[in-house]
Amino acid sequence: MTDVACASGVELLMEYLEGTLAADVRTDLESHVAGCPRCTAFVASYRETPRILREASAVTMPPDLEESLLRFLRSRRNR
Amino acid sequence: MAVPGVDTSDETLAGRAAAGDEPAFEALVIRYQARVFRLARRLTGEDGDAQDALQDAFLQVHRHLPSFRGEARFSTWLYRIATNAALMLRRARARRPAESLEEFLPRFDGEGRHAATPAELRAPCRVEETLDRQLLAERARAGIDLLPDLYREAFVLRDLEELSTADVAEVLGVEPAAVRQRVHRARLMLRGYLGALTGVKP
Repeated sequence: MTDVACASGVELLMEYLEGTLAADVRTDLESHVAGCPRCTAFVASYRETPRILREASAVTMPPDLEESLLRFLRSRRNR
Repeated sequence: MAVPGVDTSDETLAGRAAAGDEPAFEALVIRYQARVFRLARRLTGEDGDAQDALQDAFLQVHRHLPSFRGEARFSTWLYRIATNAALMLRRARARRPAESLEEFLPRFDGEGRHAATPAELRAPCRVEETLDRQLLAERARAGIDLLPDLYREAFVLRDLEELSTADVAEVLGVEPAAVRQRVHRARLMLRGYLGALTGVKP
């Protein structure tokens, strides 16, 4: 088994989560993370980052904008 | 003319709209407007720009529908137009961020081990407890805004709008490997940025 350092493991995380890593690399990474409290913590926060930002940046389209968009598009088409 | 139902596919509606069926066009607008607005808002960071991008995008869709041949899915084509409309507005503002997110990248010691402690490395997970919703929303917008352009568009489409990597690659016209690389860099930067919001140094 090759020894994965934290730094090289971090660079594989996206590929790991996307399922695009070769099986042996994947196994090496998993065993490193399992034995490394720092990487375990890092992976947890790396995985949470998209969700936190997705929820924090969620916006609802203002209802009046829905009507004004259709009005605007109709006015431009009829010119 | 019958109002197109929710079960009519995008591509069917696009075909009818291209042939001049205005209710079909408006059904597509109604179906996608909220998603396009949210995408534009996340890419531009501003309500006014998002509204302009929304209008620009659907005007362009209407204009170019006759040349939409269906090589791509309608949604992919629309996301490409909307992403470009949002980026044009962003560039028109030409505001250069004074700060960079580079400082939030993870740090390692000489042997490639994490320099921070497990508790420090887990700090980003606590940001929702540390900041109230409104402040976190403001800081999230500011953080996304600080990303380099290439990372921002990939991150917004992949992680915030939750398109597949293959779809993001198609929208941006790059290889999936490039999308994964850009999204990864954005996640690393924003992860450290969230941690810093809790008072922890990267």
